[in-house]
Amino acid sequence: MKKYLFIVKTQIIKSLTYEFNVYGNILMQTIIMITSAYFWRALYSGQGVVGDVTAESMQTYIIISSALSVLLITGVEQRIGRSVERGTVATDMTKPVSLFGMFFAEDIGSIIALIFQNMVPILLIGSIMIKVPVMADIRDLPLFVISVVESFLINWLIAALFGMMAFSTINNNALIQVKKHLIRLLSGSIIPIWFFPEGVAKVLSSLPFIYIYQLPLSIYIGRGTRAEHLAQMCIQFLWLVILSALFLFVHNRVTRKVMVQGG
Amino acid sequence: MGKSFDTLRHYLDVTAVNIKMAFMTIVEYPANIAGWFISNPLQFIMGFAIIKFVVESFGKINGWNYGQLAFLYGLSVISHALSMIFFVQGWFMGWFVIEGDFDRYLTRPLGVLYQFFFTNINIFGITDLIPGIIVFIYGCVKSGVNPSFLFIIQVIIMLIGATLIRGGIYIFIGSTSFHTRSAVDFGQYTQEIMDKTTMYPISMYPESMQFILTYLIPIGWVSFYPVSSLLGIDNGISSGMITAFITLAVGILMMLLAGAYFNSGLKKYESAGN
Repeated sequence: MKKYLFIVKTQIIKSLTYEFNVYGNILMQTIIMITSAYFWRALYSGQGVVGDVTAESMQTYIIISSALSVLLITGVEQRIGRSVERGTVATDMTKPVSLFGMFFAEDIGSIIALIFQNMVPILLIGSIMIKVPVMADIRDLPLFVISVVESFLINWLIAALFGMMAFSTINNNALIQVKKHLIRLLSGSIIPIWFFPEGVAKVLSSLPFIYIYQLPLSIYIGRGTRAEHLAQMCIQFLWLVILSALFLFVHNRVTRKVMVQGG
Repeated sequence: MGKSFDTLRHYLDVTAVNIKMAFMTIVEYPANIAGWFISNPLQFIMGFAIIKFVVESFGKINGWNYGQLAFLYGLSVISHALSMIFFVQGWFMGWFVIEGDFDRYLTRPLGVLYQFFFTNINIFGITDLIPGIIVFIYGCVKSGVNPSFLFIIQVIIMLIGATLIRGGIYIFIGSTSFHTRSAVDFGQYTQEIMDKTTMYPISMYPESMQFILTYLIPIGWVSFYPVSSLLGIDNGISSGMITAFITLAVGILMMLLAGAYFNSGLKKYESAGN
């Protein structure tokens, strides 16, 4: 455990090195958040409630979605890709820590740094420039926190699974893009799936993606009843179990035979 | 005159070799080819589906109906694809700066910016182009556009302009790395901002934002102004044939400014000590 905490610490220090990155990221994310807020405001102009949600709730949705996206940044897929492509996977595997334990610790480290560097500023800017994103019902806070933790894990496992394909394809850049688009468009991070036709929405609620963004966000803005949220959290948990099992299965298979390129 | 013609021919020869090399590099990883052929069309098909769903939930967007939005989306994706083929390297300029990769280009007797973009020409951009063209044709049919010869000329001119504007923006953002000495992958952010501002009419945004998108960061010219002129929708700034040419002029201006900014940055470039 101590070894992993050390990796986390190193990663935090690494993330703090480039100051400009921090400002650049905040600036870009602010622009995206404000554009999205205006986008929804324009769509809602002259309409009261669409898809069971008001314009006000949608603004909160956007702010919290932007903040949440900071937590859901993963480096594991690129990390594996690079390490396999350059052959450094050989040295990574000889280290006295488990390969994916190390990647996980690195991601945790980056995220701890990002919470202070990005998430807090974004929430502040959003509160000042758009609106204060108040939670619909503060009693749902424990549910929200649990679902965020689960969504973080689901997101990380999906990233790791896509990353592991590098062991057989050597170059996984394109696959990382596939994963990125799937999560971006099907998770409700940009457009919640309750605006989709019923059939499509039904298919999507059986896939893991909406449990990454949309479930915690629905809980936050209070769309749906608590019973519905709890039912969805059961599915979320189920996906967490399925993906963990898949992760272990694939992990054991791919790390047994590793091709090292010029390492 | 003869000399500059020779130079041009030399550049064209090098470009041909580069394209050949690019093809050879991409066949190195077959899974990657499959991946790109899935990921890029997937992105645009889903993006397009989302527009449809939004229109179904909210009705017209600022007076634009579904067919017109499809037309806008199609042209936006096509210029995006073209900029991906020629200028996507701009997204990664920061890495070249901090890893000292410009050394290689500086020692060769060709323009640095040319080498930067064309030694890594991104053939995979074609995977963006195909869905773009399909949606564009669909949009033409849906919005009842009758493509005359003049219409096609306007579309081609505005596409060149739009691609140059996008490329110029990528170069601008990438060149900041010379001054900040850091590499940030702004590609995804740029893409997300561009999605919201080129795939929907910018007239839906507040006036202050429209002003910025028209005069300061000319994203409005990438798709909104030329497309609304093509469809005969009033955009309050420019209408008729002239709009396509204004787009081209804005594109060339953006490129010149971005090139100047890049060169001023390059003067500050010091290698990474390798």
